[in-house]
Amino acid sequence: MGNLVLQVENARAYYIVENNYVRAIDDVSISIREGEVVGIVGESGSGKTTLSNVMLVNIKKPLSLIDGKVKLYLNGSIIELNKLPREELQRNIWGKETSIIPQSAMNALMPTKRIKDSILDVMKTHFDEIHENEIIDKAQTRFEEIGVSKDAIFRYPFELSGGMRQRAVIAVATLLNPRFLIADEPTSALDVSTQKMVLKTIQNLREKGIVKSIAFITHDIATVRQIAETLVVMYAGKIVEISSIEEIIREPLHPYTKGLLFSVVTPEPEVKERGIYHIPGTPPNLMYPPPGCRFHPRCEYKLDICEREEPQLKVVNNRKVACFLY
Amino acid sequence: MKGYALRPFLKYVSRKFIFLLVTYFIAITIVFILPRAIPGNPLSTLLRQIFQQGQANPELIRSVHKTLMEEFGLGKPWYEQYIDFITRAFKGDLGTSISSYPKKTLDLIAPVMPWTLILLIPSIITAWIIGNTLGAIAGFKRGSFTDKFTLNFSLIVSQIPYYWLGMLLIFTLSVKLHIFPGQGGYSQGTIPAFTLKFILDMLYHYILPFLSIVISALGGWAIGTRVLVIYELDADYVNFGELLGLKEKTVFSYIFRNSILPQVTGLALSLGGALGGALITEIIFNYPGTGYLLFRALSTLDYPLIQGIFIILIGSVYLANFLVDFVYALIDPRIRLGQSEGS
Repeated sequence: MGNLVLQVENARAYYIVENNYVRAIDDVSISIREGEVVGIVGESGSGKTTLSNVMLVNIKKPLSLIDGKVKLYLNGSIIELNKLPREELQRNIWGKETSIIPQSAMNALMPTKRIKDSILDVMKTHFDEIHENEIIDKAQTRFEEIGVSKDAIFRYPFELSGGMRQRAVIAVATLLNPRFLIADEPTSALDVSTQKMVLKTIQNLREKGIVKSIAFITHDIATVRQIAETLVVMYAGKIVEISSIEEIIREPLHPYTKGLLFSVVTPEPEVKERGIYHIPGTPPNLMYPPPGCRFHPRCEYKLDICEREEPQLKVVNNRKVACFLY
Repeated sequence: MKGYALRPFLKYVSRKFIFLLVTYFIAITIVFILPRAIPGNPLSTLLRQIFQQGQANPELIRSVHKTLMEEFGLGKPWYEQYIDFITRAFKGDLGTSISSYPKKTLDLIAPVMPWTLILLIPSIITAWIIGNTLGAIAGFKRGSFTDKFTLNFSLIVSQIPYYWLGMLLIFTLSVKLHIFPGQGGYSQGTIPAFTLKFILDMLYHYILPFLSIVISALGGWAIGTRVLVIYELDADYVNFGELLGLKEKTVFSYIFRNSILPQVTGLALSLGGALGGALITEIIFNYPGTGYLLFRALSTLDYPLIQGIFIILIGSVYLANFLVDFVYALIDPRIRLGQSEGS
């Protein structure tokens, strides 16, 4: 296994709403290693996007990091990102060491500026002195590497097609070769062929060594399977299972993971025989999460203990699962 | 501008121009109808004047009345008057004033126009700049003390009737404290000339009406921009920009630039309307502008003068609109390049 790149330790991130907490992320730990693509799946409201904000330490009201650490491993030293002031993060971390392909890449670039001017603005925050021509040359090279014509940087975002825009955003996000990249549902708004192209682009980023490791956030296991090795399954603000993706698909351990997998329409014969499954009930209100295991009200395999105690992640055959069945 | 951008641009401009011609025609038609809907006889004032000058010969009055009716075409059926008016309007002939007969309407309007423009254009632009900046800062710092203060201040000043604000300024700064003169565009007895003395005197008289317009207009701009900025705060490009490390200053400039675009149209309309004068402000301050002239024209039912002022006013609104559409196309690439947002 490669060296650690980013580590989140026991993070609790709550949204403060009218003197109440929405427990979006509760006691979540995750490690990202060099060369790794980690898929993070879960349904809407499971805390995926909050987790991505925590990993970047983009903590803005009403979100608050109640507890936990976010560590960035940088050339042998460890930086505790959660202790840095926002200005420091902006200048030295964001866009430089960590970066993100946002959920809605369609409108992620400043609409009334040419792309090159947006790029220059980003560079100006990271460096005191910039050489415009050098930056444009570098950016053009990166654009071509990623499969956007190099003239695109002289265009306005709305002049590019959807797929082009998506890739332009990826190029802008990775200009400074960040060690760690989050892809937050980068494919969910795209048609299937553009999806494929974007996945390939993201894969190339790692293969060419532009980024060291990637966290790929999605609700779609079929998509993440094409790109990730490790899968993190989230439910109601908690991690319920971590394992290699092939193992999870072969044999999901957590009842929720099973539900998630079996609810996907696939052409595989055994799925056809089994039929399409759906998880009963709805996700809990995270202002008042159920006691014990947060999944127990919807779980078919519920034991008595599930209502009382919170399961912790434990190792089962080299895999991690948070469930009392194991 | 690059070649590929020019064609949609020309098409955009010519389409705008045709649209303006059609609406101009409709507008001057309304201007023809409305003064005639006011009850009263436009000749009565003029005839009364003649009467008071002692030439109270009924025979003479009758013949004067007849001549004037013919002169102004008031006896003709409405459609003939209308066609007459339209053809003259397109020739640029705005007719003869009734109340100041035999002066030409244009000769009455021309000397007061600079006064109005000097008063209104700087004050409208000042209000626009201050209001938008305040609103943008308030929106950007949503929920902060600055925001709450600016919002409340703006709500209050925008709701103060501007004529009342004008009277308040006159009462405090002029009548009570004697700091500024309360009326006129310049000291009585002086003759307008390009001398330093006159210009200083003019500026001295200028401050109160200027302030009353700036203060009453900036609140509205601030409230509007604040909301526009708040809409932009959560825009995707803002979130992405922040996570690439953009400085707060840069993010603010992005938001400001995008949210100010609709306000440019509002500015255009205000500037276009400037020629009509700030009617009540000019009356309160006894300021020798178009608004004051219009007030006089309305009170004597001087049809040609009312029409003349309105035609110039409408023309200037359109001109401003047209120019601003042009400017808008220059500052917003999405409009200039004639493409819609789409995937």
